[in-house]
Amino acid sequence: MNAHNIVQYSFERHSSMLDLIFKSHVARFCSLAVLLFCMWNTSAYAETDIRLGVLAWLGSEEAEVQWQPLVQQLERRLPGHRIVLRDYSLDELSEALRTGEIEFLVTNPGHYIMLEAEHGISRIATQVSAPSQDPAHVVGSAVVVRSQRQDLRRLEDLQNSRLAAVADDAFGGYQVIWAELRRRGLDPEHGEPRTSFTGFPMPRVAAAVLNGEADAGVLRACLLERLEREGTIPAGTLRVLSPRPDIGHCGVTSALYPGWAFAAARGTDPALSRAVLMALLTLPPDDQGQSWSVPADYHPVHELFRELQIGPYAFLRETGWDSLWRRYWPWGAGLLLVLVVWGIYTLRVEHLVQRRTQQLSSALAEHHRLEERVQAGQEQMDHLSRLSILGELAGTLAHELNQPLAAIGNYARSLLRRQQADNLSPEALRQAAEEIASESERAAGILGGIRAFARKRSRVREVRDMAGLVEETSALIRGMLARAPLIELHTTLPAAARQVVVDPLQIQQVLLNLFKNAWDAQQAAGSDAPIEVLLGAAADGRCTVAARDHGAGLTPELQAHLFEAFFTTKPDGLGLGLSICKTIIEAHGGELRATSPSNGPGLVLEFSLPLATPGATCQKPDHA
Amino acid sequence: MSPTSLPPTIHIIDDEAPFRRSLLFLLESVGWQAVGHESAEAFLEAPPAFPAGGGCLVLDIRMPRISGLELQRRLKLADSPFPIIFMTGHGDVELAVQAMKDGAVDFLQKPFKDQLFLDTVERAVQLSLERHAASRRHQEARDCLARLSAREHEVARLLALGQTNKEVARQLGISENTVHVHRQHVMEKTGTGSAAELARLILRADPAGLD
Repeated sequence: MNAHNIVQYSFERHSSMLDLIFKSHVARFCSLAVLLFCMWNTSAYAETDIRLGVLAWLGSEEAEVQWQPLVQQLERRLPGHRIVLRDYSLDELSEALRTGEIEFLVTNPGHYIMLEAEHGISRIATQVSAPSQDPAHVVGSAVVVRSQRQDLRRLEDLQNSRLAAVADDAFGGYQVIWAELRRRGLDPEHGEPRTSFTGFPMPRVAAAVLNGEADAGVLRACLLERLEREGTIPAGTLRVLSPRPDIGHCGVTSALYPGWAFAAARGTDPALSRAVLMALLTLPPDDQGQSWSVPADYHPVHELFRELQIGPYAFLRETGWDSLWRRYWPWGAGLLLVLVVWGIYTLRVEHLVQRRTQQLSSALAEHHRLEERVQAGQEQMDHLSRLSILGELAGTLAHELNQPLAAIGNYARSLLRRQQADNLSPEALRQAAEEIASESERAAGILGGIRAFARKRSRVREVRDMAGLVEETSALIRGMLARAPLIELHTTLPAAARQVVVDPLQIQQVLLNLFKNAWDAQQAAGSDAPIEVLLGAAADGRCTVAARDHGAGLTPELQAHLFEAFFTTKPDGLGLGLSICKTIIEAHGGELRATSPSNGPGLVLEFSLPLATPGATCQKPDHA
Repeated sequence: MSPTSLPPTIHIIDDEAPFRRSLLFLLESVGWQAVGHESAEAFLEAPPAFPAGGGCLVLDIRMPRISGLELQRRLKLADSPFPIIFMTGHGDVELAVQAMKDGAVDFLQKPFKDQLFLDTVERAVQLSLERHAASRRHQEARDCLARLSAREHEVARLLALGQTNKEVARQLGISENTVHVHRQHVMEKTGTGSAAELARLILRADPAGLD
C-alpha cells in the first residue's frame, strides 16, 4: 500500500523520467527471461534427445535392427546427444513431422519427395550402397516370380497376371515398378496387371508369390538376395524378372534411383543439422555396405512421380472440370469475370456502334431528304413561275391556238360549200388541203411548245443561237400580248460568237419575263418605244445579253430587292418571276444584274451565258 | 345576197396569213370578191375605192404596231365608207365593246362558224350599200341646193318652214312680188313642186338645215 503510494507519488512527481526507467527495466527483464528460457530449453534437448524417425519398410523390429548401428555411430560422433530412434509407417512419418515429434528422418526417395512438398523438410545426406557408391543410383526394385513360371520373362508378360506389392505408396516397393510397367504400355491402375497390396513388412510380398496368391511380386532391390541369405526363402524358388545386366550385385528389374534420404525437419537447428551431417559423412559403411553421402539429385524421382501423376504431381490426374475448378477457381472466376465484363463491354460497344450508325444514317437520310426537298422546291418554284406566266397570258395563248383551228375550220367548210355548189375545182381542193395540213401541224407545234414550257423538266443543255432565242421569244410574246411591244435585237456578233450552251426553254422563260416586265414598265410609263436587246461578248468567254426598256426605271433601293423572291412592284404580281430568272441564270454560271441605262430613263437587265466555243469571242464585234 | 348583179368586195386585214387566206377561200366559195391585207399599214397605203357591189372590212383586233382599233379610229377620221367587222380572240370582250362603241358593225369571236361569218359579212355589205345610197342622196341634195343663190337659199329655207310669200316678204324686207319670183326660181332649180318637198330636200342635205 505504502509502496504503491510512493510509486504513485514518484510517478506523479517525476512522471516522464520514472516512466522511461521503469519501461526500460521491464523490457530488459523480459528479454533476459526469454533468452534464458530458450537457452535452457535448447540445451535440454541437445543434452538429451535427437529424435530420428525412420520409415519401417520391413516392420518395426527390422527397422530397429537396420537403423540401430546408425544410431550408435551418430551418438558416438555427437557426444552429449542421445539419438531417439522412432519407426513409422509412411503416413505416421508425415504425421510426426506435422506435430514436430522429430528433428530428423530417414525415408525412401519417393516418400522424401512427398514430405519435402508437404512439410518442407530438406535432405542433408543420401544413402549409398557399397557396390555403386553413387548416391544417385541406389534404390531399385525387383519383380520376382516363381522360378518355374517360364511364361513370365519380361515385364510385358505381366499384363494379365496378378502382381503383389507392399503398398501403393511404397517407392521401391511399388512405384518404381509401376513406372516401369507404364513405360511398357501396361497400366496396373486398370488391371494390367491386377495388383494387390500386402502391407508392410515387405517379405509378405515374397510370401504371396510363393504361396500362389500372386503371379509376381515387387521387392526392393537386393531384398530377395538378403532373404535367401537369411534362409527365409529357399534359394532358387523365386527369380528376378528380366534382371538388368548392368547391375551385378543384385537382381534389379527397374532403373536405379537415388538412395534413401536423411532429412532435417523444418525448424531443426541448422547447427544441429550441420553437426549431424558432418557425423553422417564421416560414418564408415555399415555391415550392409551402406554409407551416407552428399545429397543426391532427386530429379529422377520427381520425373517418376510426374510420370505416375502421384505425390506432388497428383494434381496432374485431376483433369476433370471439378478438380480444375477446385484448383483454379480464383483464376476461373477472374477469367469468367473478365469474360463477363468483356462481353458486357462488347455488347455495349456494339450497341453504341449500332446506335451511332443508325443516328448517322438517319442524319444522312435527313440531309438527303432536305436536299431533295430543296431541289423539289426549286423545281416547284420554276414550275409555278412558268404557270404564273402562262396564267397571265392564257387568253392570248388561246388566241394563238385559235388561229390555226379557225383556219382549218374555214377551209373545211369552204370545201363543203364549193362541193355543194358544184364548183369545187381541183386547184381549190389542193390549196385547201395543203393549208389544212400545215395549220394542223402549226397547232400541234404550239400545243407542244406550251406543254414543254409548262412541264417540269430536269437539266437540259443545248447549243443554240442566242439571237435565234431572242427572236423566238419576241415572236412568242408578240403572239401573246395585244399591242405587243416591238423588240429590237442589236448585235454585230458573228453567228459563231452567239452559240450558247443553255436550256433553251429556261432562257426563253427568262427573256419572256424580262420582256413582259419591260412591257409592263413601258405601259405604266406610257412609252411605246421598242424594247432593245443587245448581245455582246464578255471577256470570260461568255455571251452577254442586255434588255433595256424605256419605262420609269427603278431606284437603286428597289433594284437591290429586285431579285428577291416575292418582291414585286406590281399590284397583282407574284414576285417570283425575276427570282426564278436569277436562279436560272446562276444555274448557267452567270449573274442577272439590273442597272440604270446611261442615256434616258428605263432599266437594263443584263446577264451572261456560256459560249459553246469560248474561242469565238476573239472575234470582237465590229462596232463595240 | 345583194340584189345588184355586181359582187361585193370584202377586205380582210389580219397579220395571220394562213387564217387570212382561209377567209379569202371561204368568201370566194360563195362568189364574193375578197382581198387580203397583212397589216393595217398595208391597207392604209392604198385605200381602195368603195366598190359598186358594196363591201366591208374584216379586222383582227390584235395586230402589231397599228392594231384593229387604231385602224378603225383612223378610218373614221377619213370618213371611210366601209363598215367594219372585228375578229376577236378569247378574252377580248372589252376591246370588242370599245370597237362597237366606236361604230363597228359587229364582232366575231374566233373561232367562228362559217355561216355566222358569211351572214355577218352580208349584213355589213347590205349596210354599206344602204349607207352608200344615203350618202349619194345627201350629196345630190347638197348639189341641188348649191345651185341656189344666197337670197334664193334664204327664201327656200323660210318656205320650207311653212311661211307664206307675204310672211317671207315681211321677214326679209322685200316685196311680195320679189318673193314670188325667187320661189319660182327655187322650184325650178330644185325640181320640187311644194314647200314640203323643198323641206325634205333641205333636211336630206343637212339634217340641221331647218333649225
